[in-house]
Amino acid sequence: MTRTIDETGSRDPLLVLTGVSRSYGPLHALKPVDLTVLPGQCFALLGVNGSGKSTLLRIAAGRDTPSSGQVSYRGKPLREDALIARAEIAVAGEVSSTYPDLTVREHLMLVAVAHGAGAQAAGLVDSTLAECRLADHGDALPGSLSSGQRQALQLAAVLVRPRRVLILDEPEQRLDPGARRWLAGLLAKEKAAGAAVLLATHHVELAEAVADEAVVLLDGEVVGRGTPTQALAGIQ
Amino acid sequence: MAADTAAITPADTTDETIRLLRELRRARSRKQIANLAYWLYLAAFALFSYGGWLVAAIVRALRRPPLPVADTPMLLRAVPAGLAALALLVLVFLLWDARWRGPVVIAQPTADWLLDTPIRRDRLLRPRYRVSVLRFALAGAAAGLVPVALLLAAGLGGSGLGSSLRLAGVAMLTTALLAGFGAGVAAWAEAHAYSRLRSVTPAGLLAVTALAGLAVLMAAVRLPVAISTVLLWSGPWGWAAQAPVALAGGSARLWPVATLLLALAATAAITLGDRAAADVPAAVLRARARTLGHMSAAVFNLDARRVTTAYRGGTAAYGRARLRIRPPLSRQLVLPWRDLTALVRTPSRLTWSALLALASVGLGALAVRAPHAALLPLTGALALGYLAAAGLCEGARLDGDDPRRSAQLPFRYDSLARWHAIVPCLALAVLAGCPAAALAITTGHAWLLPLIAATIAVLVGGALVNSFRGELEGEMFEGFDTPLGNSSGITIMLWYVTGPLLAVGPMIILWSAAVTSGRASRTLPEAVLSAALAAWLVHIAAGRARRLKSP
Repeated sequence: MTRTIDETGSRDPLLVLTGVSRSYGPLHALKPVDLTVLPGQCFALLGVNGSGKSTLLRIAAGRDTPSSGQVSYRGKPLREDALIARAEIAVAGEVSSTYPDLTVREHLMLVAVAHGAGAQAAGLVDSTLAECRLADHGDALPGSLSSGQRQALQLAAVLVRPRRVLILDEPEQRLDPGARRWLAGLLAKEKAAGAAVLLATHHVELAEAVADEAVVLLDGEVVGRGTPTQALAGIQ
Repeated sequence: MAADTAAITPADTTDETIRLLRELRRARSRKQIANLAYWLYLAAFALFSYGGWLVAAIVRALRRPPLPVADTPMLLRAVPAGLAALALLVLVFLLWDARWRGPVVIAQPTADWLLDTPIRRDRLLRPRYRVSVLRFALAGAAAGLVPVALLLAAGLGGSGLGSSLRLAGVAMLTTALLAGFGAGVAAWAEAHAYSRLRSVTPAGLLAVTALAGLAVLMAAVRLPVAISTVLLWSGPWGWAAQAPVALAGGSARLWPVATLLLALAATAAITLGDRAAADVPAAVLRARARTLGHMSAAVFNLDARRVTTAYRGGTAAYGRARLRIRPPLSRQLVLPWRDLTALVRTPSRLTWSALLALASVGLGALAVRAPHAALLPLTGALALGYLAAAGLCEGARLDGDDPRRSAQLPFRYDSLARWHAIVPCLALAVLAGCPAAALAITTGHAWLLPLIAATIAVLVGGALVNSFRGELEGEMFEGFDTPLGNSSGITIMLWYVTGPLLAVGPMIILWSAAVTSGRASRTLPEAVLSAALAAWLVHIAAGRARRLKSP
């Protein structure tokens, strides 16, 4: 894998959203939001269904264009199709389809090779499978996996590639309590390694365990902000 | 494995990734090629076994095409505008296709697993685009046979096998070039003007309708030749029409120049599209891959309804419904209110139904005017009328798709079919009944009015029968073996066409009897029989609904 180590360990913001809003015709799905995500920080988005979390995540990932405001990544306007975004921002969340004839391992190989793992791809895939508790399912076709295992496969797909920013839309979905604890540990490790994590979740315990900062959204508007506990206390 | 603060420099892994994907999917590719070969063999076998007489008939017809008749000069005047309308229709179709599928399209797993990797998009997308251009050109060449068949049937363009084949070859070439041009423009639009594609289709259809209207006018009235000349040089649709016009005996002396222009335009558009293919945004590719994935699954399950749903999902506009109708105070009117609301909030559905209804009335008028050759126009009129009615029965169809939708309504589920008949009947009465009645009265055929009214009810009844058909059951695929093969194909087809078959079939007979008799006294029995048929169809629909609720 081709990586140039940045020795400076910069704490400059990675992802900055300024006055970002999103409307679909007359429907205001997201009212202006400001958000800054630093390296090594986990930022949680909390809120009920339809509050605008996924819209905000899609915009933060460059997958949707805001109706107003700006999104910048490492100081430059973010576009999903830009090479730097594809190379450094890993997104998991939307239910993904799979090649019906490729095994779990082969799917991950494809991602690893596309991200430049080269000869190390096989080893990287094996360690990722083990980390995501899929070691016994590497040769299975994705169609035979349980919903929780499919969720683990999605997480494995973002972990098998290099990343500066991890964007996760309700990653705890379909995971059992044990797997949720594993997820919390995984996100803590990501933070420790310097990755920025932007996470939408319904699971307050997960947010409290890993998030440094949180916003609570309601009808597309920020109604609470601070640490997860403070943000939730604010709306109560 | 975890991230660090490294500045990630992506290497170009495109070749390596695509090679790996090909290697991993080699077995599947081989299987696909084998499947294709098998289907080609089956098609060839079917053609030679069952279609031999058809091929022989076509060759015979090409050797001795119909001779010009008295109306031929009149038809020839309409050919430039008519062919330009058909050519423009090809372009509009390609731009409509680009709204939800387009020439630059990838499989859903590829969109989900490879689009957000740093591999080069041009290497991923351009091969797909080129295959699409080839497919469009081949389909275009095949579509070119339609105007050829029309021209030859009208006694234009052929005095023997040689001239007929020449006309066919030229028409196929120009339509293929036109399709190539359209594919290039569509790919460019996908990349750079995707949001504007939505408004192109209605405008294009309007232009096609205007050209078709002009063709009818030119056939009826002698208009200045300059109009045809302007039309034939107005753009690629006109250039594509010139060669067939010339070979059909029309005035287009510079057709080789026009064909050359078309070839140059097609080359330029295909090249432009090739460049633009790499710029199609990931969001567009992802959305259409998802639509196509859903659609393929629906097609695989022979579920026409889900195919439509998948298409609508791919082209849906966001927003809130603006048109509101005040809810009724009487509970009896809840369902008609819901149907009416659904109808006014989908103006495209209403427009299509209106167009189909008008076309149906037009064909009906033709049948009444020429009772000795009424069968074909009558069949067309009733079929189009059925389609118009089916479009207006969307409310019933939604309830038929999922009985839970109506769980809160104060009606028994099987009585819904009757309630759902009200709005479509009224709407069809306005869209088809009123123009048909006006036409009947002004042309001295007022005696047809009771039959027109009853026909509306029958067509809606047939559409309701189909609306409550439910899901295709797995056991239908099993069927039973007969000397002519397994019965499942016929069973599934009948399951799909029960409504139109029960509505349109008997009505053809009743209308034929009424039209050929031409006497007022004869229409009353037909009208009474039609009303009885309508009641029976609604009864069948209610029975189907009952079975859906408690299978």
